[in-house]
Amino acid sequence: MTEGPGEEPTPAATEAATEPAGTQAGTLRIAMQPIVQTDPGFISSDPEVLVANHIYDYLVDITAENEIAPRLATDWQVSDDGLSYVFTLAEGVSFHDGSPLAAEDVVWTFDRLRDPDLGLPTSSLYENITSIEATGDLEVTFTLLDPNPFFLFDLSDNHALILKAGTEDPSVFNGTGPFVVVDYSPEDRLIAEANENYFVDDQPQLQGLEFIFFSDQTAQVEALRGGQVDLVMVISTDLFQSLQNEPGLELLQVATNGFDLVRLRADQEPGNDPQVIQALKLATDRDAIYSLVLQGFGEIGRDSPIGPLYAQYYTEELALPGRDVEEARRLLAAAGYEDGLDLELHTPDTGNRPNLAVVLKEQWAEAGVNVEVLVEPESVYYGEDGWLQVNLGITGWGSRPYPQFYLDVMMKCDAIWNEAHFCDEELDELIATAGTTMDEQERVDAYQEIQRILIERGPIIIPYFFAQLGAINDQFQGFEMKAFPGRSDLRPVTFAGG
Amino acid sequence: MSAAFSEAQVIQQSAAPSWAQRFASTVKRLYTRPASAFGASVFVIFLILALFGPFFAPYGLNQIIATEARQPPSTAHWFGTDNLGRDVFSRVILGAREILTLSGLGTLLAVISGTLFGLFSGYQGEWLDEVIMRFFDSLLSLPALLLALLLLGVLGPSSNSVLVVIVIVYTPIVARVVRSVVLSVKNKAFVEAARLQGESLGRLLMREILPSVLPALAVESALRFSYAIFLVASLGFLGVGVQPPSPNWGLMVKEGRNFVNQIPWALYFPAGAISIVVIGVNLLADGLKRALQAPGSE
Repeated sequence: MTEGPGEEPTPAATEAATEPAGTQAGTLRIAMQPIVQTDPGFISSDPEVLVANHIYDYLVDITAENEIAPRLATDWQVSDDGLSYVFTLAEGVSFHDGSPLAAEDVVWTFDRLRDPDLGLPTSSLYENITSIEATGDLEVTFTLLDPNPFFLFDLSDNHALILKAGTEDPSVFNGTGPFVVVDYSPEDRLIAEANENYFVDDQPQLQGLEFIFFSDQTAQVEALRGGQVDLVMVISTDLFQSLQNEPGLELLQVATNGFDLVRLRADQEPGNDPQVIQALKLATDRDAIYSLVLQGFGEIGRDSPIGPLYAQYYTEELALPGRDVEEARRLLAAAGYEDGLDLELHTPDTGNRPNLAVVLKEQWAEAGVNVEVLVEPESVYYGEDGWLQVNLGITGWGSRPYPQFYLDVMMKCDAIWNEAHFCDEELDELIATAGTTMDEQERVDAYQEIQRILIERGPIIIPYFFAQLGAINDQFQGFEMKAFPGRSDLRPVTFAGG
Repeated sequence: MSAAFSEAQVIQQSAAPSWAQRFASTVKRLYTRPASAFGASVFVIFLILALFGPFFAPYGLNQIIATEARQPPSTAHWFGTDNLGRDVFSRVILGAREILTLSGLGTLLAVISGTLFGLFSGYQGEWLDEVIMRFFDSLLSLPALLLALLLLGVLGPSSNSVLVVIVIVYTPIVARVVRSVVLSVKNKAFVEAARLQGESLGRLLMREILPSVLPALAVESALRFSYAIFLVASLGFLGVGVQPPSPNWGLMVKEGRNFVNQIPWALYFPAGAISIVVIGVNLLADGLKRALQAPGSE
């Protein structure tokens, strides 16, 4: 694992004679996929979020340890019933155009994000908000319909970057953030320099950022190797392996809750027979998958989207049945498939998914399950909701800061992405409890029960949680990569080179 | 050697050489040129691998040995193992069957349909010829790979689709070659005579015209075969043809490409196999052309 947060930046004796006077030094060049969306309300990809995260500010931030931290809001109070949140904004904050930040800007931003007529992806996320009011020059009050224990996480949604009230074109980079855009040439690069008036003392530490766009990951890594860029945050396992022992680089590895989900539809044959689901789980060799597909990076999964990253919510106390091919055969025979079972396994062509499919095919074959692998371009797999229709499929799920998201969108009976078409009343009740209770212990208990149910009868296999791999030029210090790399914080990064 | 020579003399003296004799003399002429001999030998070796591959392969096609993933070439694994612990040597050998079967069968079907179209269209002439050939021209106006990708987009990826693609892509080319020969012989005296004798169209095409077409057809078939191997491998590489875990060499190259820094052998051996077979079949086609062009001139 990489080091934790960087040490306090010490005013080390600087040999950087050629650097101009000032507190900031060094330009960090980041290789990444090209960005398309520059309106914070519509951004989605990792690079888009990374850019926006440094030009704008969130109201509250999420740390690498998945804790809520102040950003534009320095302080907040929650009412006892959990329905009212009062935020105090930092003083002396100004937009890049020079105008000061006021409570109205926050109100306007969130009103825009929750406006169902604008088609923003956040409108349903903020449905639970009944009102947003400026209750002072630098004070904003949110009122909720129902208690939501994860409301602060929701407020730090990737899109919730604060814009100036009345902004007509939200894609012009007028934020309050630590860096100011100097030049943006689409599909080439985006150049930003340090915001001299940034409201946080001693930040940013760098003089500038240069986001350089590459559509090919191999080219990104080669540019890093050749010293044309300083940071790559999304590297495949094999390319990452090739960087081992490369001088001048610090390799970064972060545990995430991202996973590949193998799921069989529970509403049609053969997945409507729980014995078949059990048989497939028993025929799967997770250790072999972990070493072959992930090459030992990441964590072994336990068939629930609640991974080890969610500390207290995750449990290993529940026994996960070990591999037992004979028992799998017996269960399949009992389910009426004594002559074997033929299945088509659909998978997108990205990441480790085709490899996972091939390994599963071999493992399941030992139990008499004959799998035909169908690798599809990602756009085809997810296009026209095909992935929600296929009987047996592998879907990639990205890392989120809290587990309720996965349960709400894919495990509830009426969830929009319930791709396994699984419906279990007991599970539904537990998900509802975990998502609304303000009693932490009750939530912990509910999450553990959910894990038990999914291990027992969930028509899903989560063989692993992947690790996020990256690398940075070792002349830059204090960088901490996050599970969702776009939310990494470059403000405290310092340049130690000459 | 002298015995064989006198035998050849005897054969030449006999009135009409039989099929077996003609085949034998063609093979003999092939082996007089080193390049052609090399091409023919490569083809035969891979044909043997395709037929008896499982006999030579030390491991199963998709046998995953989890503890031996990413091993460099060794005595246990001659070509090393890939990222999932599969023996690359076994997969290259067993892949010969897959690629030669697909491209061989596809070429055979394309040659048959191309020959039928070419014979019929060339002999009938007039508007039917126009319609058929202009349609084929329109197919030929698209680059072969582009046409293949379009067709696979419609048919969906599978081995059968690849077969259909080869037939559709190569039928027009074969038909064109056949038609050009037909045009040059259809007004010759022996065809005229047969027609006057009242022979049926089918008999006329098959018995009288087809034999004249055969030499050109043999060369064209060999060439098509080498391009078909290329096409099958290309489609595998693009991931639109056969599906994993097929040992298609193109697909192996696609998979190995991601790991080229770590386990280059998983890329180089299947890539080398493609090159050797394609070069071999091309040399064979070239040799066949020379051997058939000079019948009897030894």
